[in-house]
Amino acid sequence: MRFSAKLPAIAGAVALLIPICGFAPDMAQSTAADIIVTAAPVYEPLAALRGQERFPKGAQLMLVHAGNAEPLVIGFAATADANVGFDGKTVLFAGKQASGDPWQIWELTLADHSLRKLIAGEGDAIRPLYLPAGRVVYARRTPQGFQLEAAGKDGLMLNAPVDAAAGSAVVPLTYMPASAIPADVLADGRILFEAGFPLGSGSIPELFLVYSDGSGVESYRCDHGSTRWGGRQLASGDVVFTHGSSLARFTSSLAHEAPIVAPRAEYAGAITETASGDWLLSARAGAGTHYSLKLWKPGAAALQTLLAESGQDLVEPVLVAPRRRPNRHPSGLHNWSYANMMALDARQSREGDLKVAPASVRLETLDAQGHTIVTGTAPVEADGSFFVKTPADKPIRFALLDEKGGVLRQEHGWFWIRRGEQRYCVGCHAGPERASENHMPAVLLRTTTPVDLSGVNVPVETQQKSPGGN
Amino acid sequence: MRRRLQTGVGAGLGIGLAALAGALFAVAFWTDRPVHANAGDAVDYASPLEVQLSPDGARLYVLCQQSEEVRVLDAASYAVIRNIAVGRVPRGFSFSPDGARLFVTNSWDDTLSVIDTSTLAVVATWPVGAEPSSVVEDRAGKRLFVANRISNDVAVLDAQTGVEEKRLLAGRGSSYLALSPDGSRIYATHVYPNPPRVQTDLDNRREPESEITVIDAARAVVVDRMPLHAIAGVFHLAFSADGRLGVAAEYHPKNLVPLAHLEHGGAFAYTLTLFGADVGKASVEVPLDELERYASQPFGVAIAPDKSRIYVTSGGSEIVTVIDVPRLLRFIHSHNGPFVQDLSASTNYVVARIAVGRNPRGLTLTRDGRRLFVANRMEDTISVIDTRTNRVASTITLAGPKTISSLRHGEQTFYTARYSFQGQIGCSSCHIDSTFDGITWNLEPDGFGRSTVANKMLEGVKDTEPYKWTGTNPDIPTECGPRTEKYFWRSETFDNLTLADLATYIRSLPPRPNRWRLANGEQTPAQERGQEFFTRSVDKFGKPIAESNRCSYCHSGEKGTNQKISDVGTRKPTDNTGLLKAVPLTEIALTAPYLHDGSARTLEEIWTVYNPDDKHGRTNDLTKDELNDLIEYLRAR
Repeated sequence: MRFSAKLPAIAGAVALLIPICGFAPDMAQSTAADIIVTAAPVYEPLAALRGQERFPKGAQLMLVHAGNAEPLVIGFAATADANVGFDGKTVLFAGKQASGDPWQIWELTLADHSLRKLIAGEGDAIRPLYLPAGRVVYARRTPQGFQLEAAGKDGLMLNAPVDAAAGSAVVPLTYMPASAIPADVLADGRILFEAGFPLGSGSIPELFLVYSDGSGVESYRCDHGSTRWGGRQLASGDVVFTHGSSLARFTSSLAHEAPIVAPRAEYAGAITETASGDWLLSARAGAGTHYSLKLWKPGAAALQTLLAESGQDLVEPVLVAPRRRPNRHPSGLHNWSYANMMALDARQSREGDLKVAPASVRLETLDAQGHTIVTGTAPVEADGSFFVKTPADKPIRFALLDEKGGVLRQEHGWFWIRRGEQRYCVGCHAGPERASENHMPAVLLRTTTPVDLSGVNVPVETQQKSPGGN
Repeated sequence: MRRRLQTGVGAGLGIGLAALAGALFAVAFWTDRPVHANAGDAVDYASPLEVQLSPDGARLYVLCQQSEEVRVLDAASYAVIRNIAVGRVPRGFSFSPDGARLFVTNSWDDTLSVIDTSTLAVVATWPVGAEPSSVVEDRAGKRLFVANRISNDVAVLDAQTGVEEKRLLAGRGSSYLALSPDGSRIYATHVYPNPPRVQTDLDNRREPESEITVIDAARAVVVDRMPLHAIAGVFHLAFSADGRLGVAAEYHPKNLVPLAHLEHGGAFAYTLTLFGADVGKASVEVPLDELERYASQPFGVAIAPDKSRIYVTSGGSEIVTVIDVPRLLRFIHSHNGPFVQDLSASTNYVVARIAVGRNPRGLTLTRDGRRLFVANRMEDTISVIDTRTNRVASTITLAGPKTISSLRHGEQTFYTARYSFQGQIGCSSCHIDSTFDGITWNLEPDGFGRSTVANKMLEGVKDTEPYKWTGTNPDIPTECGPRTEKYFWRSETFDNLTLADLATYIRSLPPRPNRWRLANGEQTPAQERGQEFFTRSVDKFGKPIAESNRCSYCHSGEKGTNQKISDVGTRKPTDNTGLLKAVPLTEIALTAPYLHDGSARTLEEIWTVYNPDDKHGRTNDLTKDELNDLIEYLRAR
């Protein structure tokens, strides 16, 4: 493998970051670090969202050390998706021991190159990421596409079913008829993942969030419409991602993405920030060329090539160094078979607040055959609030109805609520920038018992098929 | 709270330390290294709460709450000039207009220290109202105005003699005062929301209401009460030099929404209220928070002399927020409010968030606006910010213990927001200054809309377990440990050692001095009569009162609780249980609203509204006067 003479630039570029409130640079990365990168003849970054293979011609993890790039793992037909442990001593990856095997999740100990299989099973398991408290998250292939799962690699998961195949405690995190692929674990403990928008039904790659117990799923931002994928969080807290083929970012202060003025190129997402604030990233000139490993100082006019290999895409670079551990999410799920959901004011929406007061809300879910099922309706109070018991761990969506049952507004996608989850939303698609106001919801003045729309007590024959279908 | 050395010893030690400091100080002006202004170990942590520059800008005065002194530093070199012992738990200070005197409010001994700034000596100590917290002198030098937190008023004193002229009703928990630049008005804020004026079924489920009390300085009368809707907790207030812009820092709780999660400002908005000619007729509330980053617990406010910037400390987030005033004004004039629900609004006017020390509180600018001093209360440091770069240029380290005790660590933990999801809340968000917030909350595990609970005082909480209104938490570590992590922080909490330190701190909080007893500690006749009702075994009709239905049975012992669970008939339809712990009576006079759900606005309503069947003690045979005696006794507890 040819190695660019500019690799030492990483060390040279590493310097102290100016502390930014709330976040600090990872000082452990302030020395030159080894890099692990996935090398593949063909890289289709969004294929997994379609349930397809991202590396149709195989892939191999390469360790770039002291100017040399060598295979990281020996004896595997394919390896990809490196994620370095918080202490910098281990590496999670997806691997196939034989070419006909499914992708499975492995952990490599760097000191002695010992391997252990963490996650197995009949379907592919890809894109593993470390979670706090000895857990990992990854995507597993299912009949509904790739779904996120979290597992306790050291058997530390509580209240979770056991995956007999892997001997690990596994919790599904996503419950929708479409694929989800983890992208990063944020400092606040939430999992950033890629899925199609509208969630569960659309095909525009978008970034979403979910807690590590599967609760609290939501869009990262609601300025939907552009292709966004490959998100990674920087030390500042910003999330940088590929927008189309260029780069953009989410910042804490903005409700919409902010453009990044970067050299013209096609970017493969999954950037890695060095301690100096430079970015390791994969880019190519255009279709028909290959992604090579680049170093970029944000704002600079040009990319520096660190590593290139003829006929190979070099993607998903990670630094081999300790890094700050994200916060652990303490699951507050109750021991229920259902979930509770309250809207503070269903009239509020990013698409414009409803001018007509909704009379009721309709809850829809999907049956095992993928048919849309209406589990019932509940009244909406004059202040726009409603409180319902919902099915858990299933795709659901709401429609606001007028007094005649006509649809005033309907969710286009699906989301889910975990078993035992009790949450509220500010409005219907109000956007994450819309904070709750301090009003006593009228529905809670009338009753503290949610209207049962869980469908559990409704005979199947009396459940309505949704007139609109899916 | 510390118990200071005897005054004479403390003063002598202070002078000696100051002299030693003068010989030893090292200057590191405009560097990133800490500037050590200390001179050996002090007996206690300084806990700087407020900072002020002398009117001539030559000296920096630091109000040190825990060491109970004013430390005077050279404003250029930061060398210690003098440490001046003052009264107990000082909370506020300000200069006379000519700079000749410095007034210090000592909140726990109800006095005002008058310091001669030429001799740097306390020349008078005047008795004032209950828990004086802030003081300003009018321009004429005739009157002093003192905000009294417990008596909820502003006292008007003769500025030369300290004799009290009158009291002006202010907001509940009256605490901070500011003089308008033209000297015509005094503006008072308060830290607890005002009680509802009218009793309704929704009293414990209404938005809190606060106010800025406006006082005519010449006539010493209240001329306006600016309403602050939905605000509970208002702190410093500042004016632009031209008097056209006023700013107050405040908490905007979300206590009526179930506390189910913290994302999207689920528990609090931290905001500023803007008012004045630059704003227009009505005041405007603007948020300091962002979508994923909060300005938790704003406290101090300063406006640049040229009105280009507003600086706000956030004690929980440990930052100073820098606001571009022209952009802010353009924003509020070009957009329709309200803005408080928009977490992206602050991007239109916040230009920097500067990390400073732990629990930043008071702040002050140099006359040229180039340097900003920030008192980091839980770190014994002063951050010196270069306002041209918005960076901490140097840090002044105040003398104090060199190690962090468990107690101190626990207090640091109490006041930070770093453990909660996205840094939104800390213990002190709801327990303001380690007390309470005067409002009720709906905690998610109890059910949406169910078992709303009034937040209660922490002082004197030691040895009153079990905790929670339902008594389900056997000790403080249980109360503050996994339960807090799961249902309050919604994020990874502190480790067990930190939890133990936090519990140590909470258990250390003593009740504050009781202001209702006579000066000699004895009870008034009314209190003595009330005590008889409290302990009586026979009602006015000669019928025996069952032991379990006597006030003194459940509210027994030094702290007024037998620590047992019982049903006193106060259960509401939305409560999950009527079995409640007998609440301690410590500082009961201060902690309205009452009952577990805050439904009783006053002590009297406990019996006149919520005790129809005498299940909460036999009281329905008592006249109003007799109930008043009972209340007087409870206040004396």
